[in-house]
Amino acid sequence: MALLEVTDLSVTYSPRDSAQVRAVDGVTFSVEEGEFVGLLGESGCGKSTLGNAVLRLLEKPAAISGGRIVFDGRDITEASEDELRPLRWVDLSTVFQSSMNSLNPVITVREQFADCFAAHEEAAGRGLDVDERAGELLEMVSLPRDVLRRYPHELSGGMKQRVALALALALRPKFVLLDEPTTGLDVVVQREILDRLAELREELGFAVLFISHDLGTVVEMADRVLVMYGGELVEDQPADAIVHDHLHPYTAGLMGSYADPRDEHVEVAFIPGRPPDLSRSHEGCLFAPRCPVAVDACESEHPELLPAGRGEARCLLVEWAVADGVPARKAAPVDQLDAVFAADASPRGAADGEPVLVVDGAGKTYKVRRGGKSTSVRAVHDVSFALRPGRVTALVGQSGSGKTTIARMITGVERPSDGTVRFGSTDVGSLGRRALRGYRRHVQLVFQDPFSALNPTRTVAYAISRPLRNHLGLGKQDARARAGELLETVGLSPAAQYLDKLPHQLSGGQRQRVVIARALASEPEVLVADEPISMLDVSIRAEIVALLDRLVRERGIAMLYITHDLLSARLLADEVMVLNQGEMVEHGPTMEVIREARDPYTRKLLAAIPHPGAPRPGGAQTAGPAEVATPALP
Amino acid sequence: MGYFLRRTGFFVATLWAAVTLNFLIPRLQPGDPAEAIVSRLTGKSEAVDPRQVEAIRRLLGTPDGSLLTQYWDYLGELVHGNFGLSYTYFPYTVTEVIGDAALWTVVLVGVTQILSFVIGTLLGAWAAYRRNSRVDSVITLGSTFVGTLPFFWIALLLIYVFAITLQWFPDGGGYGGGSTPGWSWLFFSDAFQHSVLPALSLLITGPIGWIIGMRNNMVQELGQDYARLARAKGLPQRRIALTYGARIAILPNVTGFAIALGSILGGTVLVETIFNYPGLGRLLLESVSNKDFPLMQALFLFTTIGVLVANFVADLLYGVLDPRVRRTEAA
Repeated sequence: MALLEVTDLSVTYSPRDSAQVRAVDGVTFSVEEGEFVGLLGESGCGKSTLGNAVLRLLEKPAAISGGRIVFDGRDITEASEDELRPLRWVDLSTVFQSSMNSLNPVITVREQFADCFAAHEEAAGRGLDVDERAGELLEMVSLPRDVLRRYPHELSGGMKQRVALALALALRPKFVLLDEPTTGLDVVVQREILDRLAELREELGFAVLFISHDLGTVVEMADRVLVMYGGELVEDQPADAIVHDHLHPYTAGLMGSYADPRDEHVEVAFIPGRPPDLSRSHEGCLFAPRCPVAVDACESEHPELLPAGRGEARCLLVEWAVADGVPARKAAPVDQLDAVFAADASPRGAADGEPVLVVDGAGKTYKVRRGGKSTSVRAVHDVSFALRPGRVTALVGQSGSGKTTIARMITGVERPSDGTVRFGSTDVGSLGRRALRGYRRHVQLVFQDPFSALNPTRTVAYAISRPLRNHLGLGKQDARARAGELLETVGLSPAAQYLDKLPHQLSGGQRQRVVIARALASEPEVLVADEPISMLDVSIRAEIVALLDRLVRERGIAMLYITHDLLSARLLADEVMVLNQGEMVEHGPTMEVIREARDPYTRKLLAAIPHPGAPRPGGAQTAGPAEVATPALP
Repeated sequence: MGYFLRRTGFFVATLWAAVTLNFLIPRLQPGDPAEAIVSRLTGKSEAVDPRQVEAIRRLLGTPDGSLLTQYWDYLGELVHGNFGLSYTYFPYTVTEVIGDAALWTVVLVGVTQILSFVIGTLLGAWAAYRRNSRVDSVITLGSTFVGTLPFFWIALLLIYVFAITLQWFPDGGGYGGGSTPGWSWLFFSDAFQHSVLPALSLLITGPIGWIIGMRNNMVQELGQDYARLARAKGLPQRRIALTYGARIAILPNVTGFAIALGSILGGTVLVETIFNYPGLGRLLLESVSNKDFPLMQALFLFTTIGVLVANFVADLLYGVLDPRVRRTEAA
């Protein structure tokens, strides 16, 4: 009997003033003792809701509307809070998404350990020395003991996440649910935490359900991977099978969005379209509208999750193949996906063209006054580069390395303390307020977070027509017409459908397109894109990268692409600069920097990229139980 | 430690600015109070007799000398608590007049403010703890409804029902004609009788802001990841509600409460007028309508200082209660 058995579980949101949403629909899976199971899916697919349901943490208006959850032989589907309490944390613990916020801000770290020891005296042991035990736990996640006396706001994001992990392991649980535990953390920090997690699991032997949208990480860490789409499981396979022998077209699409930036030829696929609206009922396969290989039957017949390959899959094409007795083949190999973006070596702008923007020996030092003493912090030191028309320069570095400061100097928000930023013949650092206004017409920004970059109370047409009216002096009618053209340019067509929409009516990818359209409005020569895809779902990232690539080619824009993601840098950039602690440590053509990285920091970044299929750092890859349970097909 | 020092410095600087403005503003106003008094006494049509003006000046003790000496004298008098004589209550000094009235206000309003805060916070926390239940609906809807009623209307209704119709309590004043102020049981019970209706009217409307504020803050806190994690940790419900909900939700209300206490001195005009209560609010109204400058000036100064001190205390308290503030300020 498995440790956790979830049978036909459904969760329904019933908000007071809108339609019911079936966020989780008939999900069945199990987690064996000590097994590491990954749950993969895009935002809104119901994976976190499923996680909360398993932990029995759902709050109104969400509620379990069917099925059973059996943990360690005990049905906890209907258990009351009082019945659950002795089980919680002792047997089932969790690390939440964005642990930035999962520690109580007004009590010390020690108290957060102390209160869970106090709540579970039996399991923790009576008369336990809180400082001693909590100290050990912190050391286990490579944190010094004095973190106990600190408040959460005094810790960095990575440290908080380690505390959360130590906390989750405090009572030696049998099962830990990890919900996007490293999302939002720096790649290098993420790598360290995941490695430590793998080691600890090896040591302590707890089972894990690892929820994430990051395919590379999930596949690398997990024994077995569940793929979720539209509230349903669509595939369940051992991790290595997910990489090489995945069956469902959606999995193929997700797989396609991953590639190793060091490869000779790099291409990524994306899945056009949007996830289904779960407040309406659907007849056929939920994925059919986005599926590149769908047939007529997919529109009308809802597939079941049936044994296929070394696990299970929910796809009619796979079902038929199995029924015909032919080996379950991939329903859609990556090359059948029509939406593919490949890193193209074909030249865009000339590498020796006349630069449009030159940064020469620029540095920025901030003065920080604390009490009476003032110290200076050097954010950027002696950085030089040039942006040329039709070319993309990637700026890579971890958070705090000075990437954003450089962007601010280029856009004229900050003045460099040393060196110059020159646009043509103008010295950007010396521009006054009025001149800066004019300058901004030529240099525009695309922000990281498309959710906060648009005024939620204004329509798309308004957002795009502001720069048109301010910078180009267009009248109201003209601006609206131009806004429509721009929307078509960024692939939102027909534009009339989007002009009067408010930001919340658009998906993340659509919003980012609007932000890009707004940046293009004033016909800038330079575009600074600050992590434009890091907040987007994996399956549409490549789509935005392709759009940026097209704009650079068609409009001859010079782009500074800021990122910590080497794959997108490889796909998009002609040259790469690596920044570490404010200094440029590497600078050269993309292929050279990525394939022959010399700087230790660049190597660290490369090493931090997950390698699906490679042996895990914690030990040898163990065979998933599903492999044993399902008879292998010839 | 730096946080507390900085706050103290801030407080001293603002206090000095307030005191100085209180000195400057009357001197920047056009007109001579002495002339104004004489012309009021004699009637507008007649010319002002300079000797009369001089006499009034002597009487009032109008300052002379340069502005700087005046300022220096003013600060000295302030330190000794000497605000001059009240015109209206001549020959009592302003300090005596205010001291008498302050006791009434501080006892009535102070006690009801504290009770309002405690009641409001508890009800708000209870509603948040049982959010989306019937208890929550009753508390939230009830307080929203009462909040829409004008305060003076509630006060008048109370007088009509309990003082005029039922005659349980007197309809106004601080004490009855039969008792004289002093340390006697009779006087205290009489004063208590008189304070019931004003206190009740303050207690009906007082907690509403705290209820709504506390409930909304705490519902938000309980929806945070750390509260969810506390549930996942299997902590007892009460511990979650108190440490992960109320403890954080109360923070903004602490500042609000301190400021409310500080503004007691100036903010009770309405209730004291309706109930004809011998407190500071009524005194303020009187001083304004009688052009009693020394009294007015002293009352304004007291109000300002009250708010400043309250703010200062709130800041210090906030520093103790919320570790985040100490740090953010330092950064």
